[in-house]
This record gives sequence, structure tokens and C-alpha cells, in this order.
Amino acid sequence: MTEDEIRKELLVIERSKKDRQVFGELYEKYFDRIFNYILRQTDDEELAGDLCSQAFVNALNNIGKYEYRGFPFSAWLYKIAGNEVNKHYRKNRGKKIFSIEELKVRELVEQTEEGWDEELINRLLVYMNELPTDMVQVLELRFFEDKDFKEIAFILDMTESGAKMRTYRALDKLRTNFNLKVRYNG
Amino acid sequence: MGKHEIRIRRQRMSARGSERFRNYNSILKQHDESKRIKTITRIFTFFFIIVALILIFVVVSRWEKKQTEPGKKSSIKIVRLNT
Repeated sequence: MTEDEIRKELLVIERSKKDRQVFGELYEKYFDRIFNYILRQTDDEELAGDLCSQAFVNALNNIGKYEYRGFPFSAWLYKIAGNEVNKHYRKNRGKKIFSIEELKVRELVEQTEEGWDEELINRLLVYMNELPTDMVQVLELRFFEDKDFKEIAFILDMTESGAKMRTYRALDKLRTNFNLKVRYNG
Repeated sequence: MGKHEIRIRRQRMSARGSERFRNYNSILKQHDESKRIKTITRIFTFFFIIVALILIFVVVSRWEKKQTEPGKKSSIKIVRLNT
């Protein structure tokens, strides 16, 4: 986001604090991103719809407390959405789900020697299932939501160096275990 | 196995999938409802605190009254023992 875009968005946020109808502009702008973020963590459209509504209701309830601290407004929404997802899993004591698009994985991983087949995908699934959940969360935000480390640290309540360390460790394992080239230059 | 499950989604996520859940009027309604609940809770809490303070005041003033009533004053007797 450019500085001008951020400034314009901050004006909309300030107007939203006084007139709740104005928040609708932000809702329309970010709805798809937040919905897909929740869907990636639930793999259930109905549930994602409910949690997404709840996340936006919470955002609207707390918009008066929002202050710009160097992060885009979307990071604040991602944080609220993530909290809603965690609350759901805590309440239902279920296993957290990460639904990853095959096409996105193919975009990220560049095949070197072996062919890209079902077996490789299954091996990747097993590998990712064995990673700690917080590491998968960081990878998801970094590669599927295109967030920078500063934003990831804010969304997941961790330090920036912690987010970087988790990503590099996971990528190193991926490179060595699968003999793959990971398209990554961040 | 970790505490999560990884699933592969064959289809790309589209904006069409989320369209049926997009409803800002419902968000506004839920927001108004939670605002109303918050206001009621606040009023109830305020009322409860006032009632509690009145009760404490009544109990303390009764206790003080009892303490100052004449005839019920406690007295100390000094008894000399002849050995």
C-alpha cells in the first residue's frame, strides 16, 4: 500500500468511528480476503461465513479503539479473524485445519529432479502435518496471504525475528527433504 | 502427527464462493444487538453497585447504632483476690 492509500484509508476509519455505515466501505474492501483466510483455516464455507461475520462485528464494535501503529488496517482485521478461528477451535477442541490450494503450492515450489505427482504432494502433506502449528501459521501468512514478517509478528503476537526463524527453518527442511527449489526471495 | 491437519484444495478460491455470505446489513444488526446488550449490562452493573453500597451503608449504620445504645455497654470489673 502506498502512503497516499494508507492516508485515504485512515480517513475512512476515522469517519467509521463516527458513522457505522461508513465501515461498510472497509467491509466490502476486505471481506473476500478475510473470508478466504478463515476458509483456509477451517475448510468449511458455512463455518467460515459465520466466523467472518463475527470477526467483522468485533471489528465494528472496537473500531473506536483502533489506532494506526505502522501496520495496514488489514493486519488488524487478520488478527481479529485469527482470534475468532482460535476461539472456535478452543471451544470445540478440534484439530486445526489448514486448507492449502494445490495451485499455490505449485507456484511456490519449483520442481528440480522428480516429477510433480500425487506421491510428492502426499509426502509434502505428511511433512507439513509434522511441522509445529505455529510454523504452519507463519508459512501460511507469508506465502498464501503475502504478508511481510512485521505484519505476521503483529497478527500472531510474536516477535519479528521469531516469525523469520520459523519460516527459514521450515523452508530449509523443505529444501533438504524434498530436493525442491522454493521460489522465495524475501 | 501435529495438532493440525493439512488438506489440499484442488480448486482455486474465488470471490463467488464468499458472495452468499457477504451481508453488511446483518453485520450492522449484530453490532446494534451487541451494543444494546452492552448498555443493558452496564446499567445493570451500575444498579447492582448502587444497591450494594446502600446495603453496606444500612448494615454499618445499624451496627454503629447498636454499639452506642446505653444499657448494652460492656463493662470491666476488677476483682481483688484475698490470698
